[in-house]
Amino acid sequence: MNSVVDPKYYRSLFRPTMVLVEDEASGSPLTESILGRLPNAEVVFIERPTSENLALLSRQYSSHTTLLLALHRGRFLKACPGTAESYRCCLYQILHLGLGCNIGCSYCVLQGYLNNPFITQFVNLEDAFAELDRELEKPGVFYRIGTGEFTDSLFMDPLTGLVSRLLDYFGRSKNAILELKSKSVAIGSLLDYPGEIGETVVSWSLNAPQVCAQEEGHAATIEERLTAAVLCRQRGYRIGLHFDPLLYFTGWEDEYRQTVASIFSHLKGDDIIWISIGAFRFMPQVKEELRANHPQTNITAGEFIRGIDGKQRYFSAIRRQLYRFLVTEIKRYAPNVFIYFCMEDQYLWQDTFGFAPADNQELSHWLDKCCYRYNRLKKE
Amino acid sequence: MDNKKIVYCHLVDIDFEDRTFPFSYGIIPASLESSIANVGLLQAPLLVAGDNGYKIVSGRRRLEVLRNKAIRKTAAKSLEIAVTVAEKSSFQELFRRALWENLTIREFNLVEVADIYIAALKIFRPDELEKEIMPALKLPIKPRFQQRCQVVVGFSRPLRELLANGTIDGETVDLIREWSVDERAALAELVVEFSLRRNKLREVVSRLEDLSRRDRVSPLEPLSAARKFVLVESGGVDVELLRTHLKSLLYPHLTAAQNEFASRQESFAWPANLRLESPPDFEGGKFRLSFTFTDAKEWQKTCEKLNSVALEDIDELCRRS
Repeated sequence: MNSVVDPKYYRSLFRPTMVLVEDEASGSPLTESILGRLPNAEVVFIERPTSENLALLSRQYSSHTTLLLALHRGRFLKACPGTAESYRCCLYQILHLGLGCNIGCSYCVLQGYLNNPFITQFVNLEDAFAELDRELEKPGVFYRIGTGEFTDSLFMDPLTGLVSRLLDYFGRSKNAILELKSKSVAIGSLLDYPGEIGETVVSWSLNAPQVCAQEEGHAATIEERLTAAVLCRQRGYRIGLHFDPLLYFTGWEDEYRQTVASIFSHLKGDDIIWISIGAFRFMPQVKEELRANHPQTNITAGEFIRGIDGKQRYFSAIRRQLYRFLVTEIKRYAPNVFIYFCMEDQYLWQDTFGFAPADNQELSHWLDKCCYRYNRLKKE
Repeated sequence: MDNKKIVYCHLVDIDFEDRTFPFSYGIIPASLESSIANVGLLQAPLLVAGDNGYKIVSGRRRLEVLRNKAIRKTAAKSLEIAVTVAEKSSFQELFRRALWENLTIREFNLVEVADIYIAALKIFRPDELEKEIMPALKLPIKPRFQQRCQVVVGFSRPLRELLANGTIDGETVDLIREWSVDERAALAELVVEFSLRRNKLREVVSRLEDLSRRDRVSPLEPLSAARKFVLVESGGVDVELLRTHLKSLLYPHLTAAQNEFASRQESFAWPANLRLESPPDFEGGKFRLSFTFTDAKEWQKTCEKLNSVALEDIDELCRRS
């Protein structure tokens, strides 16, 4: 990798000292390749992981330094676990290739969702691509597919080399685009990829500098992420930005203003395919996990009410303040950039933008229209 | 455990201070007291010899009933009872025996669960703990619950008693896990002063904890301020005022919106049978209008009242600030 943005980017990468390999996953090309890149790691072969034996293993091996290589037996392509219809969802598809991440954001909702404590890489990629082949055959259907929902899309790439495999596949696809979402700057293989990158979107989650410093573990800084975005843009990737989760804290306006200014000192509005915004929300049971894992954080101690979907959300007047401010700031620099809300109700859409998607399909259609491939597909 | 014998001993020969076998803590049920008063001990307590007299393995509550009764009659020294004394049994065997013997007749309270678990940690191997002791105590195998036990054994006596009698629940223990001794003591005083119990207490503690985290201050600050506010405002103890006040501190925007909605609605001067409700916590956009009526005349009157409301007023009412 000769295109590393910053030598210090290594801090947001995962360097396991222990690898648990499911018996049936041993011998797979990806397993061999990963183990080859970890010559000093201890390797232990285990039976097919179940929630019971994972609980036992978690008492033997640290989740911070252990990587699990396993087979995925369910569907790889899944609908984003959006939420109740009362909150608009963009109908994103998730390519489920791994679980967990080592960045350690205090607000990470995975703390409450996953019963697997280990960062996990599914190694049966052939099955994943075969499933994609079958799915993407459907005529007239356009797919926005991401890998960054249950894990970070890039943080483990130097170990897995997965990005190149995905680019090999999606670079040529006509009716799908791939979005890689990250808080790391492990973009070496993105920059060095020799082939057709197609309309791949590389996205960074952004936040206020204070949130980044206090709540985002050892993620890359905002400056590092934006520098990486510039390099990716220069290589021809489209750039997505995600302000999620927005947090409400003393001084939030100045902080978010800084981040927006920083974005547009690096990128032009035209470089950005979309910007999503979502205020902090979490399932009630995550609160206890979050406090236990991050005793210093105070992000759950706000005006949270129970949303229609059962999640804790900021009271709507606070969300409205956050959204109006951020949208106004972004539009000052890039009036035409496409901004959308992730899991927000139509009233807040209306209050902020003056319009709202009638349903999830309409929001999905708005995002599809941002993609050249979709527009080409519709013309054919 | 085969090596045991029935002996007669005096109450003064029993080391009540020893809690090597911590199977009993809290209020003794009145039914046990009356049973012993009426028919005496039905089953001999299990003891084991110790340096300061017999240690109680199981049957502490029965023995305490007898002791209390004897003390009242100043007969503690002379009261002689039949007990089973274990000999040549391992500590682990005795512990296990006491655990299961207690479980056959009752459920442990949270103080007992914590005490037993912490004691068992020193006696049993991890696999024995997970396969036998923790399931017996209904203690989930999750760090959170083990931490809870550690917290409980460090509680002061007043807090342990509040926990043992069910005033404090496990979730409240988790909330005050990181509170200092002084902060917990102030809470214990508040609980007693305001007669807070379980759900309301959990809500109050949760709000104090959130306020303390939000403002990065000790929980003592919102606790003392809220207590003072209530005592001054109501001239005494008022649990509902305490809850409302804490809620308004933690939810200033929501409280303002609710007050504003109420005052706008009040300005309509609607009859009592007509009711307009905002969406719960103003989430989503659906307001609910309802009214009751007893006959056509009342129906008509209500409809007329509704028709007389200006649309601008409705717009104003539904306006999202």
